Amino acid sequence: MSTNCGNPITETDAMMPRRCKFDRSKMCIKCKENRGNIVVRHAVYCKVCFVLMLNQKFKRSLEPTINPVPDGPRKKSLSPLGNLVIAFSGGLGSTVLLDLVHRGYISSRKPRQDGDISTSRKDPKNEMVWKEVRVCYVEVCGAFPGMRDRTDDVRRVVESYDGFEFVPMRVEDAFDERWWESVGGRPVEGQLGVDVMNEDLILSPSSNPTSPLSTLHIYLSSLPAPTAIPSTLQTLTRLLLLHTSRSTNSSHLVLGTCLTSLSISLISLVAQGGGFNIKEEVQEEWCLGKVVVKEDKGKEGRTVRIVRPLKDIGMKECEMYAWWSDLEVVGQETWPGAPQGIGGITKDFIIGLEKDYPSTVSTIARTCGKLAPKDVPAGICILCNRPSQGQVKAWKDRISIRSLSSSPLPSTSPAQPSLAPYLCYMCHTTLTSKSSKKPNSAVSTEKGDGVESKVEVPVPQWVGARITAMGREVMKDELKEFLLVDEDD
Amino acid sequence: MPRLCALCSAQRPILKRPKTGQQICKTCFFHVFETEVHNTITEAKLFQPGDRVAIGASGGKDSTVLAHVMKMLNDRYNYGLELFLLSIDEGITGYRDDSLETVKQNQKEYDLPLKILSYNELYGWTMDSIVEAVGRKNNCTFCGVFRRQALDRGAAMLGVDHIVTGHNADDVAETVLMNIMRGDIARLGRCTAICTQGEDTIKRSKPFKYTYEKEIVMYAYFKRLTYFSTECIYSPDAYRGHARSFLKLLEAARPSAIIDIIHSGEACEVGEEATKELKERKICKRCGYIASNDLCKACTLLEGLERGMANAGITDRGRKQLEASGPTPDGLRTIPFFQMNTDTPLDSASSTPIPGQTVDARIPAVVHVTAG
Amino acid sequence: MSEISLKVEFGGGLELLFSNQKSHQLSLPTRVASDDSTSPFGKEQETKALDITYLIHWLRDHRLKERVELFMENDTVRPGILVLVNDTDWELEGEGQYEIKDGDEIVFISTLHGG
Repeated sequence: MSTNCGNPITETDAMMPRRCKFDRSKMCIKCKENRGNIVVRHAVYCKVCFVLMLNQKFKRSLEPTINPVPDGPRKKSLSPLGNLVIAFSGGLGSTVLLDLVHRGYISSRKPRQDGDISTSRKDPKNEMVWKEVRVCYVEVCGAFPGMRDRTDDVRRVVESYDGFEFVPMRVEDAFDERWWESVGGRPVEGQLGVDVMNEDLILSPSSNPTSPLSTLHIYLSSLPAPTAIPSTLQTLTRLLLLHTSRSTNSSHLVLGTCLTSLSISLISLVAQGGGFNIKEEVQEEWCLGKVVVKEDKGKEGRTVRIVRPLKDIGMKECEMYAWWSDLEVVGQETWPGAPQGIGGITKDFIIGLEKDYPSTVSTIARTCGKLAPKDVPAGICILCNRPSQGQVKAWKDRISIRSLSSSPLPSTSPAQPSLAPYLCYMCHTTLTSKSSKKPNSAVSTEKGDGVESKVEVPVPQWVGARITAMGREVMKDELKEFLLVDEDD
Repeated sequence: MPRLCALCSAQRPILKRPKTGQQICKTCFFHVFETEVHNTITEAKLFQPGDRVAIGASGGKDSTVLAHVMKMLNDRYNYGLELFLLSIDEGITGYRDDSLETVKQNQKEYDLPLKILSYNELYGWTMDSIVEAVGRKNNCTFCGVFRRQALDRGAAMLGVDHIVTGHNADDVAETVLMNIMRGDIARLGRCTAICTQGEDTIKRSKPFKYTYEKEIVMYAYFKRLTYFSTECIYSPDAYRGHARSFLKLLEAARPSAIIDIIHSGEACEVGEEATKELKERKICKRCGYIASNDLCKACTLLEGLERGMANAGITDRGRKQLEASGPTPDGLRTIPFFQMNTDTPLDSASSTPIPGQTVDARIPAVVHVTAG
Repeated sequence: MSEISLKVEFGGGLELLFSNQKSHQLSLPTRVASDDSTSPFGKEQETKALDITYLIHWLRDHRLKERVELFMENDTVRPGILVLVNDTDWELEGEGQYEIKDGDEIVFISTLHGG
């Protein structure tokens, strides 16, 4: 049938009625005594009950993830295998998260005594759950000329709480061998470059050693679409946080993603081809260079668990909590250019839709919670370190003919090592999918005027290290097994 | 030096492919457009020689190009298919009556048998009369449900067991997004499938699943195909409209977004826990069509219309009200009983009638209205 | 013409659009133009009691310094901006139709910041 009226899938349209903004009365539904101050998805709360409710939601998301085997009985004492890292951007969500962690797990508790973690205690509620708590901040101003460095603002906020260790980083550290070695990475033998003008992403030794900052500039400016810049910065930030967590013996990395931002990032993930990683966008286990298997979960120092304890708390609730608790939000506004990117478009769309269809945000998160990857992962992506389906190029070549010759790799001689086979769909797309407009790159480089010639782009340290390791293991068997090799020895 | 086609390096490029960003010439465009559809068909093993296949034809761009390409590929690659055009007349004055003229013209151009089945014939209502009764709020619900069933019934009348529709990559991507945003777990699982079977008895396929709407329009333009391009006069599906404009923004940010979304949809499935929540499939007690309650959606909608309770088929509450308001009165207008050929296995990919065997129309073409 | 005095506060980064000034003490007429036009009007103009919708228009016309699209959309605040009336969610108070009383405190908080 024609699609003028489209898909015959229309009968659910009527399922999203508009309703009055709150149910029945203006009194708080919890204490039933005070006049309400806030409406949270039709339920009315007074200020006191709202703060209590928010704390409960926070603990209900976080606590079942603290013990190594998740979803265990909640009554058990909380014994994480390692320390805690709080990812702090200075934005609204992480500002609220920082405050909630401090109130719930630090200011109200005594320092954790040394000794065997597994010893049961009489009253563990009085002791700190994690022995050490670090707050990591990744400054991205290096990516955008003219953006103010906010490290000092952030430091001020973090240091206004006691009990946190502040760990500032910069996004260009991803290209800095000193950072890489400081988190325990094996040195990379020579800098590697990738040719982003070729869909196979051919690798070659990179000639010019440059500073981490100019390497970041080259990397970002060679991305084929402006929307690739924010997603790249997110990936770099995520990996910086993960490696830092691992090197500080942290078993948990908590992010300030609230329900609203989670739904936005889920849709944005889908729009970038990352459907295979929907589960990881909610919660993920990361283990250096390999797919996490069940046996890893009980072992100390093996995996880092990324948790989003605000995932059931909407942006409005965060806003109200921050306002009423007088929290200072120092983080940068949206990144330059981000509103035109897929993430920014999605954000505007979802927040606008939520106004007319108030259950949109929670429906998205709930729906995605019911989805599972269709295949067993073929490995993990060398760049973002998330489980990957593999066969990315094969899928893309099947869907769209890019060459008239019948050979699958027209311009590539088999001897050239290439990055493409080791990337997930989303990372491959980020590195190769062109915008219809020429990206007005945030940074200027000495690149020519859009002539499609070979452009050599240095890769992040962990990618280089992985390839070096693969090279050492000899590129036997066309590197087929490398994705599953444990380099944790 | 003038730019040359990115594929043949010989001719002057005339368009930039939205899907790959490549600038290519007209000859190469026709080649890749048709070959990609052929690849989709062969990869998914959609057809067997001798299959009787109905092309859902509305006169719009997608189905017009589909009819053209299906006929061409059938000849070029010897698929051995017997093709039909199947049109549904929803009864929308000033819209469908005009577009059906286009379909009739296509029939002559492509020399394919055409079957037109109308809502009026099947349900005793036209969309015009439905809109008169229910207003413009939920009319798309009626139209969607009625069309789906009408297509199956039309297919049964033609003795075909496979319908190909003009759903393109944009439609599929949009549906993936909508199903996530509205929490439609049941549909999410199958909306990216090229071929579906199981919801109803007749196979449905989307050979244009990976074909961009923009390229369909370009193809029709360069091939000078006649199509009807007016929007439905009752098309206020606001939610789909939002989803569509969102998709267009994503595509503008990065043209691959459309296939990237489809890839996402293909990469995940409904988890085990959630599958259990899905309703069991039943057979409608009144008309024999696939249903999730005792009555199928179309029968519920129709009964609601007939009894002046239009909400019955739209909300659960409406359905319960209908059930609570007493038994169905005698002599109510109903949909004729639907019976698939029992020789056709329901869930086999090779559910093809043996070539040469005539499959009789399985429901009477004339509808008996039991009450006036 | 009698006037109502009220306090307006901006938070969550919204103050950046209003000369980076968080708190504004205002005095506005009790009766205002029904069409939310904030320029002076004649006697024959239809009026209504001062409400939040009018206040939003007034702030846009007289206090906003830049980027109106970050503050308003479709005659109301942009989706994602919270409004508090005397520390209470405006959704409990009738949103834009809430009639402002003398001494009221109205807060606008934006969600410019991410996670």
